[in-house]
Amino acid sequence: MTADTELDLWRAQWRSCSEIAVAADLSRRVERQSRWMRIMLIVDVLVTVGIGGTVAAAAVLFPNTDNIVLAVATWLFIASAWFFAAINHRGMWKPETSTTAAFLDISLRRCRARLRATVFGAFLYVTEIAFCLMWLYHYHSQRQVLTLGTFLTWNSILAVWLVTLVLLVAWVRYRRAKSRELAQLRQLSQELNQA
Amino acid sequence: VLEERFERLLQANGPSLARLAASYTANASDRDDLLQDIATALWGALPHFRGECSERTFLFRVAHNRAIAHLVRSRSLGSVILDEVEVPDTRPDPEAGLSERQQGQRLLAAVHKLPVMYRQVMTLLLEGLAYSEMADILGIAESNVVVRLNRARQMLRRLLEEKK
Repeated sequence: MTADTELDLWRAQWRSCSEIAVAADLSRRVERQSRWMRIMLIVDVLVTVGIGGTVAAAAVLFPNTDNIVLAVATWLFIASAWFFAAINHRGMWKPETSTTAAFLDISLRRCRARLRATVFGAFLYVTEIAFCLMWLYHYHSQRQVLTLGTFLTWNSILAVWLVTLVLLVAWVRYRRAKSRELAQLRQLSQELNQA
Repeated sequence: VLEERFERLLQANGPSLARLAASYTANASDRDDLLQDIATALWGALPHFRGECSERTFLFRVAHNRAIAHLVRSRSLGSVILDEVEVPDTRPDPEAGLSERQQGQRLLAAVHKLPVMYRQVMTLLLEGLAYSEMADILGIAESNVVVRLNRARQMLRRLLEEKK
């Protein structure tokens, strides 16, 4: 069999996999998913503006030291998070339309960036929690007799420890998944560069 | 206009995309997930398409990139290794000849078994793309495409012989 005849036969067989069809409602599902992703992005921005706006409004309406410190610290946290995100994702433009080789390269960089983000996220979370606890303790100890031990065992503070524990488990799992993904990306990159 | 263009692209290339998705996934559910992933990426990328390449090249770039991402995800989750995927032989009688559809399934199973770099070029070849288009999609030199294709064809031939 000559090469071209063989290829023609393969192509005919390939196209005969006709039972594989695109679901009729695929485009509707895609539109729904895109809408949902846009809503999530808006929610992210709204939460940031909501928290930042509330503490800023409190500092303007009731300008005491506590409120001003809280507003400044909150906006510092927000700014540092956005600044890190901007630096960390620099040069990682939407790669869907790039060549496969370029896509793989960007995927590797994105995966490393996500791993870096987990470290920064953990650092930011610990700093925020430490600040919030100190602020709350200071705020309440001015109004009542309160020992640190009592404060740290309040139900609302225990809920913070619980949430922290859940987040820690999620953080470890996410980092493991991303590390595995990075290993697979490296392996695939090697496989594709063998030829 | 964007919705119409998207619908038209999906309609015209649906079977090609579905075959490509099938060559990167182990089962129908994974294939549908990948197809939706491709369609979502296409929806997002379409507004940025300025005609720097043909629509087909653009489409296959998006599809191959999503397939690569899917492959990495499924490998890192420890899902079914594609090399182990088998399409069941549905022949009622071993003596009877295979129908074209069954031969298609056999070919798909063999393409599954190709290493990724050969699977990429082979799926594009089977879809009828030119060497220059393949080079443009994969981001490799045309000479490299030819080398990969030669090896891919030899491997595929051998795999199909083994299956007979």
